Amino acid sequence: MAAHPEEHDPVDTTLRGVLVDVLGLPAARVAAFDDGTALFGAMPEFDSMAVAGLLTELEDRLGIVIEDHEVDADLLESYGALLRFAREKVAA
Amino acid sequence: MSGDGLAYETFAGSRGELWMMRIGPASAPAILFVPPLFEEMNRTRALVAATMRELAARGFGCWLPDLTGTGESEAPLGEASWRDWRHDVASAASRVAEAGGGPPLLAALRGGALIDDAAAANGRWRLAPVEGAKLVRDMERAGFGGGEWAGYAPSPDVQGCLADAVPASSPPLRVMRLASDPAEADIKVEGPALWRRSEPGNSPELAAAMAADLALWHATCAAS
Repeated sequence: MAAHPEEHDPVDTTLRGVLVDVLGLPAARVAAFDDGTALFGAMPEFDSMAVAGLLTELEDRLGIVIEDHEVDADLLESYGALLRFAREKVAA
Repeated sequence: MSGDGLAYETFAGSRGELWMMRIGPASAPAILFVPPLFEEMNRTRALVAATMRELAARGFGCWLPDLTGTGESEAPLGEASWRDWRHDVASAASRVAEAGGGPPLLAALRGGALIDDAAAANGRWRLAPVEGAKLVRDMERAGFGGGEWAGYAPSPDVQGCLADAVPASSPPLRVMRLASDPAEADIKVEGPALWRRSEPGNSPELAAAMAADLALWHATCAAS
C-alpha cells in the first residue's frame, strides 16, 4: 500500500468502524481489508441481521439514505465494492 | 438469595404482574435499567447484568424490569402496546422507589431511551440512544421484505409509535456512546457494539466503564 487511505478518507474510516461494530471483528483485522477482501458469503459473521445493521449504521454515520433496490449481492461482495458505493452516496 | 444479592421481584405491569431482576440491596441507592427493544434486549443482557454486578459491588441496588410481552411476561409480545411499555417503566420506578432507595437513576440502553422519560427519576443516563425510526428500518431490513420484523411480531401500535419516537430531552441527562459512534455524547468509551452482534456477547471492560460513569452520575444527580 502506497499510503494509509483511512487517514485521509473519512468514508473509509467510517466503513471500517461500522464493520468492526457490526461484525464484531478485531479492529486490526478490519484495518487490513483491501478492495479485494470478500465480505458477504465469505464471513460467517455476515448474516442478514448483520447486513441490516451495517446499512442502518452507514446511513446514520454517513448521513445517507440507502434504498432497498440498491442493495444486492454485488454491493456486499467485497470491501472495495462497498467502499465505492459508500463514496458515491456521500458525494451525491 | 445468592451471594451477590441476586433476587427476582414482581411489580404491577400494564397487563398483569411482571418480574424485575435485582442485584444488590433493595434499600440501597437505586439504579433502574431500561433495556433495549426486541433482539437488542437479548444481545445486551449479559452486558447489563455485568454492569449491575459492578454497581452492586459499589453499594447500589440495581433493577432490570421485563416489559409487557418480554421476558417472563405472560402476555404475548403482539398484545403489548407502546403505552403499556411506558406504563411498565413508570410502574417499575415506583416499585423501586417504594423499596426504600428513593426515586431511582434510570439507565437506558439504545431503544430503552425512547420510554425512560415515562418514569419519575432523580436523573437519567443513556447508552447509545437511538431514534425509533432507525430501529424500525433495521427490523424491516432484517426481515428482508417478508413482512416480519426479524422474527418479532410487535403490535401495529408499537410499530407505529416506534417509528415516530425520539429520545425525550429530560434533564438531568447524561449520554454515553462508543468511540466509534460519531454522534454527540457527554462521554465516549471504547467498546464493542454488542447490540449489533448476532451472537450475544459480553465485555467486562465496557461494563466497568458504564458502572463507573453511572456511579459518578448518580452522585451528581443525588447532590443536586
